[in-house]
Amino acid sequence: MDAEKRKQKLREMFQRVVDPLGYKFSPDEEIVDFLLEQEVMLEKEHGHPFCPCQGLTGDRELDMKIVCPCIPFHRAHFDAMKRCWCGLYVHKDVEDPYSLVQISRSEFEQMQKEGKV
Amino acid sequence: MMYTLSTCPWCKKSKNFFTERNIPFEFIDYDKASKEEQQKIREVCSAHGESIAFPFVIIGDDVVVGYNPQKYMKLLES
Amino acid sequence: MSEVTWVYALKETELADGEKKALLISGQKIALIKKGNELFAISNKCVHMECPLSKGELENYVIKCPCHDWRFDIRSGEFLDAKELKVPVYELKVSDGNIYLKMEGENK
Repeated sequence: MDAEKRKQKLREMFQRVVDPLGYKFSPDEEIVDFLLEQEVMLEKEHGHPFCPCQGLTGDRELDMKIVCPCIPFHRAHFDAMKRCWCGLYVHKDVEDPYSLVQISRSEFEQMQKEGKV
Repeated sequence: MMYTLSTCPWCKKSKNFFTERNIPFEFIDYDKASKEEQQKIREVCSAHGESIAFPFVIIGDDVVVGYNPQKYMKLLES
Repeated sequence: MSEVTWVYALKETELADGEKKALLISGQKIALIKKGNELFAISNKCVHMECPLSKGELENYVIKCPCHDWRFDIRSGEFLDAKELKVPVYELKVSDGNIYLKMEGENK
């Protein structure tokens, strides 16, 4: 399957996953296209469409939690950012993805402790 | 120092941020690094209570995980 | 109009305890699972990337997708890590040793 077709197929499959979770593809089409292209490459190289912005560890249990869409495994953290880590998906009400900032895991945990999320 | 992924657009933006301001920096693309280097980077991430998420930017004694120009600026100014 | 029909799937004796079978019934990919004396029928397409759940590992009432380890409760079809996601489950009945599935199809 050529890369363009695979990209389209991933888009269709992932849309069905993220929609019930309250997410949509980022309105920034350019970044969506770039990220999906990376995922197709990662899938070709490693067998799975991993998140382009998180690192593989070689430990299956950990690595399976960063296969796109990885929202179910980082739900509270991503909900707090209104986007997933790589920004492929944003909350449905987000119109400007550049209004959102990445919050690291430790910052998120701190926010949780302080009752901010 | 910056730990990045060659596949991550936010890592590219972070690199651009420093390049555009003529601020010299070193970086290692985690996905292109050796197993030993990867292991070392993971240890650094864990030591800061972070997951293996990129970009991981070290400015002085501080760490910023994620593309965050405001934070980079603040740390560079201090 | 949707039409409900009971469609023959398999003989009960063709499925051993703990066994999972991939079937194509009325054009739908189904995983038929026997656990103890209980039978379950769920869609055989993982909600993630459509991998065949029948090839996954079964532990208690949880089946783990062979592709990316997504876990589903075979009783409800629920994905354990996000309840909003579900694989369809099919009602079934056994009559004279034959397993039938309740299939809903469009009546054209």
